[in-house]
Amino acid sequence: MFKFVPYVLKSLWRHRARTLLTVSGTAVALLVFCFIGSVQQGLLALTSDASADRTLIVFQENRFCPQSSRLPQDYGGTIAKMSGVRDVVPIKVFTNNCRASLDAIVFQGMPPEKLTTARDLSLTSGSMGSFAQQDDAALVGADVATRRGLAEGDKFTIGDVSVVVRGVFQSSVAAENNLIYTHLEFLQRARGANDVGTVTQLEVHLADGVDPDHVAKQIDQEFRSGPVATTTRTKGMFQADTLGDLAELIGFVHWLGYACVGLVLSLVATTTVMSVQDRIKEHAVLQTLGLRPLRVFRLVLIESVVLSTLGGILGVVGSVLILSSTGMSVAAEGVTIAFEPSAVLAVQGLIVSLAVGILAGLAPGWHASRTEIVPALRHA
Amino acid sequence: MSLVDVLNVTKEYANGEETIRPLDGVSLSIEEGDYVSLMGASGSGKSTLLNLIAGIDQATSGEINVAGTEITKLSRGKLADWRAAHIGYVFQTHNLIPVLTAYENVELPLLLLPMSAAERRKRVEIAMEAVDLTSRASHYPRQMSGGQEQRVGIARAIVANPTVVVADEPTGSLDDETTEQILQLLSRVNDELGMTLLMVTHDADAGKRAKRQIRLERGRLMENGKETTSAHLRTA
Ligand SMILES: Nc1ncnc2c1ncn2[C@@H]1O[C@H](COP(=O)(O)OP(=O)(O)OP(=O)(O)O)[C@@H](O)[C@H]1O
Ligand SMILES: [Mg+2]
Repeated sequence: MFKFVPYVLKSLWRHRARTLLTVSGTAVALLVFCFIGSVQQGLLALTSDASADRTLIVFQENRFCPQSSRLPQDYGGTIAKMSGVRDVVPIKVFTNNCRASLDAIVFQGMPPEKLTTARDLSLTSGSMGSFAQQDDAALVGADVATRRGLAEGDKFTIGDVSVVVRGVFQSSVAAENNLIYTHLEFLQRARGANDVGTVTQLEVHLADGVDPDHVAKQIDQEFRSGPVATTTRTKGMFQADTLGDLAELIGFVHWLGYACVGLVLSLVATTTVMSVQDRIKEHAVLQTLGLRPLRVFRLVLIESVVLSTLGGILGVVGSVLILSSTGMSVAAEGVTIAFEPSAVLAVQGLIVSLAVGILAGLAPGWHASRTEIVPALRHA
Repeated sequence: MSLVDVLNVTKEYANGEETIRPLDGVSLSIEEGDYVSLMGASGSGKSTLLNLIAGIDQATSGEINVAGTEITKLSRGKLADWRAAHIGYVFQTHNLIPVLTAYENVELPLLLLPMSAAERRKRVEIAMEAVDLTSRASHYPRQMSGGQEQRVGIARAIVANPTVVVADEPTGSLDDETTEQILQLLSRVNDELGMTLLMVTHDADAGKRAKRQIRLERGRLMENGKETTSAHLRTA
């Protein structure tokens, strides 16, 4: 059956303007499709990450923006003594933009020694030692570094916070690559004397086999009558709640992904229908020479599949290149969703374009194969 | 049995209220190695009969046997396979595939047959040689003259060594000189390659080149003033 592939390719080449337009349209639609998919995957990664269930976030009750949550730092000592708690990490969060933004900078201040135990970071430049030694040192996530053009030794200021980059890190958790870590005390002081002794959140790491909901209840119970009441959730829940509105928006945007698939379908189908109509007589000649109707059907199918997968490959490759080189992300209230390219998404994109190609070729192919030879030969 | 046996074939077209019947119970036998020309007024049904024998149209009733196969009983798919193996079709307007070179056009019918690439190449070269177009193998149809295109069309029709070559007004759109070339070529196909040929033509001179001349008149087939019959019917 591959003997006729050159014929199909030459036919596509003959109408190269049409072919090019269809392929590029398909490519753009698939680029958008993959882009939307990566945003959704980024959101999913936040809530389904392995640590999402084994880690609790203690936040001030009824507060969302990190600036407005102030917990006494000594809550950490109380929580650390509870059973089932392995470790407590006090974290101060500072962001230049609490609303949903594509270029929010999120600082997390935590004690340097905790950073090594609580996070899995690998430094691509700089060192942990030089970070630990310097008060205003910062470790910058790879994606922020790319976006802002930051390298080791650079100084930069966001709002009232001025830091020196002492390292760039890469984390296996995509969202982490959009964070900047500093010393806890530094960030507390940078925000004015008011903030010393308070943290934005406490990150509670649980021992294996402990029921997170039970510990969370226990924590909130403990501080109900304290100076500041708390809300404690698993990290996954916390991130999902914080991103509530944004998540809803992203959930809606996935319909746009389907719209892209629909667009490709109609685009490729239109081109294939046109190409079949152009060649009614040619197909009749091929049938006269002895091509079975089924074979004519397959030729048309191959043609539409070539169109859509070519566009699909371009779109997928384009999206992978863009996503991996720009390190884009969206953040709201200190929580970041990273847009990461992934092999799963790439394969998904290719399968979608392949399936759409087959679907788009069915009707025109069937039509071409059912054409009566003699009337078609009389066709001008 | 003859190579081609047309038995009592009728073809009708319903055209609203009225029925057109270009073939009204015609019978005909063509022997192996025959060169038959089919003439008649425009609209008399010449193409219809040719297309029925070539297996690209269906008779309303009757039976057509070619080389022992009753083609009127074959399914669409089987009929396509049968055409690939047994029919070479020369069109009036050659109908070459525009995106393929002369060589590739001639090779096309061979792609449908079980054959090695080397065997295909050999056969295409022989066919191109027969129509004297070896030097034009890599040319596209638009780069050739009408006569050259028709010669490629003939090469494509004979390349698979078919049982019957049919030609529907093969010189219909050519000038006198080119017509002469093509008619000589067809005679050689019959003489030298020994292929059985059925040619529809408007041109009485062209028709005389054939060994047998048949006319279609009001739905009946006439040869030498008598209605043709089928050898099969005669022996039955
Ligand atoms: N699909 C059709 N529907 C109705 N009538 C048809 C159809 N095809 C052919 N006919 C009629 O059948 C008759 C025979 O047509 P055919 O093409 O066989 O004639 P012909 O002898 O080849 O004519 P010409 O010399 O002009 O090519 C004509 O009257 C034509 O109008
Ligand atoms: Mg005709």
